[in-house]
Amino acid sequence: MIEKESNYIQQIYRIILLLIGLWFINLIWPYISDVILMLVFAFLFTTVLLSSVDAFERKIGSRSLSVLAVVAILLGAISTFVGSFISQISQQAQEFSQRVDQNTMAKEFKILGDKITSALPSFMKSEQSSSDYFADKLTEITQAVLGSLGSLVSTVGNFMFIAVMVFIFTIILLSEYHVFKRALVNSIPNKFFEVGLKLIYNIEKSVSSYLRGQFLSAASVAGMSITGLVLLNFFGANLTLVIFIGIIAGLANLIPLIGPFVGMVPALLIAFMNNLGSEAAMDHMFLGTIPSPFFSIDIIFMFLVVQQIEGNLITPALVGKSVGLHPMLVMIVLLIGGTLLGPLGMLFAVPATGVMKVILKEIAFVRKNAHLL
Amino acid sequence: MKSAKWENIFKGWNNSESEAVHTLKKVPVFKNLNDKDFTELEKMMHHRNFTSGDFIFKNRAPGEGMYIIMRGSIKITIGTRSGNENILAELNRGEFFGELALFDDEPRSANGIALEDCKLLGFFTQDLMILQERNPVLGHKIMFNLGGLLGERLRKTNKLLIKEQSK
Repeated sequence: MIEKESNYIQQIYRIILLLIGLWFINLIWPYISDVILMLVFAFLFTTVLLSSVDAFERKIGSRSLSVLAVVAILLGAISTFVGSFISQISQQAQEFSQRVDQNTMAKEFKILGDKITSALPSFMKSEQSSSDYFADKLTEITQAVLGSLGSLVSTVGNFMFIAVMVFIFTIILLSEYHVFKRALVNSIPNKFFEVGLKLIYNIEKSVSSYLRGQFLSAASVAGMSITGLVLLNFFGANLTLVIFIGIIAGLANLIPLIGPFVGMVPALLIAFMNNLGSEAAMDHMFLGTIPSPFFSIDIIFMFLVVQQIEGNLITPALVGKSVGLHPMLVMIVLLIGGTLLGPLGMLFAVPATGVMKVILKEIAFVRKNAHLL
Repeated sequence: MKSAKWENIFKGWNNSESEAVHTLKKVPVFKNLNDKDFTELEKMMHHRNFTSGDFIFKNRAPGEGMYIIMRGSIKITIGTRSGNENILAELNRGEFFGELALFDDEPRSANGIALEDCKLLGFFTQDLMILQERNPVLGHKIMFNLGGLLGERLRKTNKLLIKEQSK
């Protein structure tokens, strides 16, 4: 009887401690969220690069030199990509601003609005769907997009700071990964040693296989998008920066559910910028039947085909059931990740949940076998 | 007088064998390995300390790998410590146990208990898998040795079985 009561009190104590812990985390969250984000980023980069560093180390025999070599190769690739992307996009923007002023844009939008209104079935033509309405709306949206680009520039400073910190954390983690892991393993008490070791191994395995699968499927999306955009150019889509659009589509694909749609935006923007003022592009019909101004429907269709191939053929083969989360759960964790840490939170929500799943599974296993340990 | 600074600078110059490598060289699972292999293997080993009477593992507990005795001695038993304890083996320095757990997911088939304060080297399934990925040649050597060891035991068991049947 007394034992039952003490168990009950112990449970209440645990719940109170848990609530205090949650309250404390909530209190300090605004101050630590950035650091946690940096560490998560650094950990994921480390997981991706670790096998390369280990392979280099086996060849040249020095950990520091291997880290340096891998990081230098990675930095070289990133800076080449970002540098040439910025120079090409600024060139594109300059050409666009020289070619098109605001009046021309409004005029073009009016023509576009007319076309869309005339294409709509009669029952959908309300008073509002006049060509002026479409033109005003489109001009408004374009101005808003261009305006938000300005605010994007102001956040670059903050991004650079985070990037430098992530870079430093990644180098430290890459150099000391095995030391940190050994220290963690050594701290496990004898009683839980074997299950603890298994847990760490399973987490490492699930994270690295998930990331490898994701990067391979992103690469396949990039490859297929580039091919699709080149094909569209054969039909006169006049798309430039094809490789960059493909790579951005591939990277955006890393964010489940929303990413693939984000990946279409640069292609639509470039198609719009390059074809504004061209009669042929304005009158283009998708498959000869559906009006597709600036090849927009063609681009959306192409990306939908790429997504279907990636989602139904490539990802199941590459990622398989490495994380194995229910789509409903994926949506919920994406919303939570997005609320807590924005787009980056969405990017890491699924692998983080995958890790949590592995941990919970192992904890359940330990609880089940606790009497045997 | 020895300075820590100079010791750090010249660490690795002293080529004398560590206690762990010395112990590993006695284990048949690691036979036919060269010094470089032993150095790599040593990095993967988990050093665990147990005090007299501690359970290293319990019967029916999930098992993940083998232990090599670096110092001290242990006993392998079935049954509880008090009363019906049945000692299957007593193992000393340089001997190993629990190697079956490297291959299967079956639970431990006996208890492992420290007879005195002892220092063990742990080598687990996860380590073997990592080794297979990072250094397949070394991984294959160990797998081959383990296969040979299990084959030898099977042959002994067969002989015993034939002997029992012929009675």
